[in-house]
Amino acid sequence: MHMADALLAPAVAATMYVASGTVAGVSIHQLKKDNEPQKLPTMAVAAALVFAGQMINYTIPGTGSSGHMCGGMLLSALLGPQAGFLSMIVILTVQCLFFADGGLMALGANIWNMAFYGCFVGYYLIWRPIMHSRWFGGETRKAERLRIIAASVIGCIVTLQLGAFSVVLETTLSGITELPFGAFVALMQPIHLAIGLVEGLVTAAVLVFVFESRPALLMDVDPATGPGTQRSLQTTLVILAAVVVLVGGGLSLLASSHPDGLEWALFGNEEAGYSKNMGLDEENFGVKSGVADTASSIQEATSFLPDYAFPDSDSPVGTTVSGLVGSAIVAGLAVLICMAGGFFRRRKKQQQPA
Amino acid sequence: MIRLENVSVYYTKDAPVLRNVSFTVEKGEAVGLIGANGAGKTTLMRALLGLLPHEGLITVDGTEVTPKTLPEIRRKMGFVLQNSDNQMFMPTVYEDMIFGPMNYGASREEADARVDAVLARLDLADLKHRHNHKLSGGEKRMAAIATVLAMEPEVLLMDEPTSALDPRNRRLIIRTIRELPETKLITSHDLDMIWDTCDRVIVLGRGSVAADGPAQEILQDRALLEANRLELPLRLAGPDGA
Amino acid sequence: MNRMDRSLLELREMDTLAAGDSPVHRLHALAKLLTTVAYIIVTVSFGKYQLDGLLIMVLWPALLFSLSGIPVGTCFRKLRFVLPLVMAVGLFNPFFDRAPLLTVGGLTVSGGVVSMITLMLKGLFCLAASFLLMATTSIDDLCAALRRLHLPSILVTLLLLTYRYVGVMTEELSVMTDAYHLRAPGQRGIRFAAWGSFLGQLLLRSMDRAEELYGSMQLRGFSGNFAYAEDRRFTGRDALWLILWTAAFVLCRLYNIPGLLGRLLTGGIR
Repeated sequence: MHMADALLAPAVAATMYVASGTVAGVSIHQLKKDNEPQKLPTMAVAAALVFAGQMINYTIPGTGSSGHMCGGMLLSALLGPQAGFLSMIVILTVQCLFFADGGLMALGANIWNMAFYGCFVGYYLIWRPIMHSRWFGGETRKAERLRIIAASVIGCIVTLQLGAFSVVLETTLSGITELPFGAFVALMQPIHLAIGLVEGLVTAAVLVFVFESRPALLMDVDPATGPGTQRSLQTTLVILAAVVVLVGGGLSLLASSHPDGLEWALFGNEEAGYSKNMGLDEENFGVKSGVADTASSIQEATSFLPDYAFPDSDSPVGTTVSGLVGSAIVAGLAVLICMAGGFFRRRKKQQQPA
Repeated sequence: MIRLENVSVYYTKDAPVLRNVSFTVEKGEAVGLIGANGAGKTTLMRALLGLLPHEGLITVDGTEVTPKTLPEIRRKMGFVLQNSDNQMFMPTVYEDMIFGPMNYGASREEADARVDAVLARLDLADLKHRHNHKLSGGEKRMAAIATVLAMEPEVLLMDEPTSALDPRNRRLIIRTIRELPETKLITSHDLDMIWDTCDRVIVLGRGSVAADGPAQEILQDRALLEANRLELPLRLAGPDGA
Repeated sequence: MNRMDRSLLELREMDTLAAGDSPVHRLHALAKLLTTVAYIIVTVSFGKYQLDGLLIMVLWPALLFSLSGIPVGTCFRKLRFVLPLVMAVGLFNPFFDRAPLLTVGGLTVSGGVVSMITLMLKGLFCLAASFLLMATTSIDDLCAALRRLHLPSILVTLLLLTYRYVGVMTEELSVMTDAYHLRAPGQRGIRFAAWGSFLGQLLLRSMDRAEELYGSMQLRGFSGNFAYAEDRRFTGRDALWLILWTAAFVLCRLYNIPGLLGRLLTGGIR
């Protein structure tokens, strides 16, 4: 779900930076007030773990495809929403800087889409209420376990839906894609539903393991809950997995065999053919020979021209030749610069020993 | 320098990991702390540093180890961890080395001078600006020792300083340890290293002191070692332990 | 080689590139960071049909590649997973925006095609710019620059610590993954039964590690504040670089330079 710089207009990117920055500021303030210096190394190690953990492929039973875990929910269940949020920021920053995943300008938006929903919505609206509820019966260990699973699955689905919706919203507001809002939403949401289910289950499995081994590590869990039986966990997970396979069905198969849902939303449909999905004719690939169809689209053309802005040109068609020549000059310059740089460096090297 | 009187450490209420441990380490002494896995060596070190709560009396240079005196105690003690990755948390060796001194109020110039002095003393000047994750195992261990020495401790605690090192690096570490004038308390399963570096040895068995005496005497006492699930140093035992 | 090994290699590769020496490497990280941000903002702000105006922006990454000696191939290898995504979003444009915009020879080019190419170039330029920043700047220098921008120290410290442990944890998981697959040949991922324990085990160990780490920080007097390596001075050269380039970007945005150049030449012919 990482967005690249080119998918955002500067105004939208700045707005998202302000939004994420505000939440980060409030979180830092809260953490400073709590004054728990031992949390810093824990946050760093947990962030590094989530970074690496997101690279593990988990096979989804019965489908042959694989899923990943959801960092936001896991971190806020372990560290609390504020510390989890900061850890997510750092993970996204490392991904952006060193792995070109997302972009420098889009970082604010990515933090919002992935960290804010996962940590704050996921924690305050889902994890904490469910963990404090009396779902699945009282204070038994088994009920606690079921609550962890429910909170993880619901949390991942909801936060991923919100994140996917935000991606659509931000891209549309930026005026980047010509894809109608409705169609984009219809593409993104179901895919992320399937991904959310799988991520929720993986996250649940990890959290349940932690609960079994060291419940004190989890937020809002009472470590003193009585002992339970091992088998019920397995049964629950099997039942939930079966539900996922049934509900997610083909979707999860399609979605998780691809590295990223956003990618799939765009590529998958390209492979499936636009004509079926968009009601478009594939023959018309935009570049048309002759003037056969121009007449019918003249009206369209004029309606588009107003926001078309070559600042100092009389008509777009008129600039074609000069535009091409100008571009050629730029390309030539680029080549020249590359050659000159090499020359400059070589000379520098020769000079150094002297 | 270090004095323990009837020290016990509990992880759970009923089973102490250390039970009534008492011994003293004099200034300038090098003491080896040996014992089988689970005998409580690392626990003892952590208790000494106030990282674990304990019962009984521990004093360092006459000051009792309590939560209040910890800053003073820790200023005098350097702890070299078994896992250097846990010891060195900054990206470069240099930043790691100034971390301690600066926290204890040294100025930038002072910290820089100490770093250079320690690196020169250990012959590690070329490691200064290297990234911690790019160091080899041996370099990492030496750099970890350097980060601790930069704090100018009076006592050095070392947990398995030679584990997972190749023979050459092991020898280098042994030579380095021998040349350090500080008071030293070293735990290890590498009894040959203990033989080379320590004057005195304390044997821990199931949470209490089983023996305490001159290193060469204890390390040659096969019956004592075997009673505490240990074996003679390889140089005395030969390859088949006979 | 598994996915984690590849990430580690990429991380090391960036480290090695950043440790190099060139006029660009020697600039202050703050100047590089701000120039890169200015470049990205200007690039992205071009209108969706301003393809000819946008083209001039290729010169900056070209210049940096050339000055720094960073191989262009490395950049594209790194971007091979990210670029398709940007490209894909643009691919829709020709279908929804079919109004003819230009004629090249006998071909009519629709607005959608122009906006698609514009978007793809923007994506490429921005990614290349970020890559060049990190390929010529080490993490310590970048963090020093971030501190200068008054980013909260807890965030910068967290970034430094996390960066340090990303390598350690990834290596550990890589070994675990290999160990798993050696005993489970033919499996594509982690089997359902081990979902929780595989990462869970490491998570528990990591928490112990964090505790030990905190201990080692405490022993060295940590009380919530971090001491950092000294920041290099921000010289006039750095300021000049920042101001000149930012001004150049803005000029390129305000005036369609390739268009002007072209008109100058073709005008002469006409």
